Amino acid sequence: MLSDIIGKELIQLNVRAKNWEDAIRRGTCPLVTHKKVTPEYVNKIIEIAHTTGPYIVITKHVALPHAPSEFGALDSAIGITTLETPIEFGNEANDPVKYLFCLSAKDSSSHLEVMTELVQLLENEDFFRLLDNAKNPSEITDYIKTIEQ
Amino acid sequence: MHKALVACRAGVGSSLMLKIKVNEVVKEHKFPIQVEHSSLDGIPGFDGDLVITLVDVAQELSGKGLKQHIIGIKNIVDKNEIYEKLSAFLNN
Repeated sequence: MLSDIIGKELIQLNVRAKNWEDAIRRGTCPLVTHKKVTPEYVNKIIEIAHTTGPYIVITKHVALPHAPSEFGALDSAIGITTLETPIEFGNEANDPVKYLFCLSAKDSSSHLEVMTELVQLLENEDFFRLLDNAKNPSEITDYIKTIEQ
Repeated sequence: MHKALVACRAGVGSSLMLKIKVNEVVKEHKFPIQVEHSSLDGIPGFDGDLVITLVDVAQELSGKGLKQHIIGIKNIVDKNEIYEKLSAFLNN
């Protein structure tokens, strides 16, 4: 389930970032610290974005930074970072980005279930209101556990 | 029955989410479309007639002379956008 892989240690609220690349580095920082991905995985996300454009901006104000598993996804995890000031990623339809969901996907049967839950969260306005107003990460993890029940 | 491949660069994130939404739309409207997903590497061996991806990837693919029809989605959780683009494909 989503709550198994979104730990509160992977959530950061109101982070300041200089530009999209900085936002991805800051957003993925807890995943590197907690050994969910390697530093090379982060470099790969940025490299792909440089060569092929802002493919990770998937819906209004939301980026899903991720790379293919073989570039250093060590353990399944999703980190959530909200930005103090939204940042342009160069995606006309969905800029500026305020929320980053940094994804590490190890190939596993639970991945589809987790992504189905994540899609539902991205359609949930209450969830984004909570992200805007939360004072600490445990409010986010508590909310996710509540909706899973 | 049409066969669609939902593809993105990595094959584990955006394409999977897009596949989930496309499947919802296909089921709700009983569209005659069967949906698979993969990374872009899956396209050369794909024998169906439709490729669904994110809009920037679609632009890149459109120059490559694929035999499939290509649909680019801007907002992967916007079911209206998915519905309209699938309908347009089916009515063509």
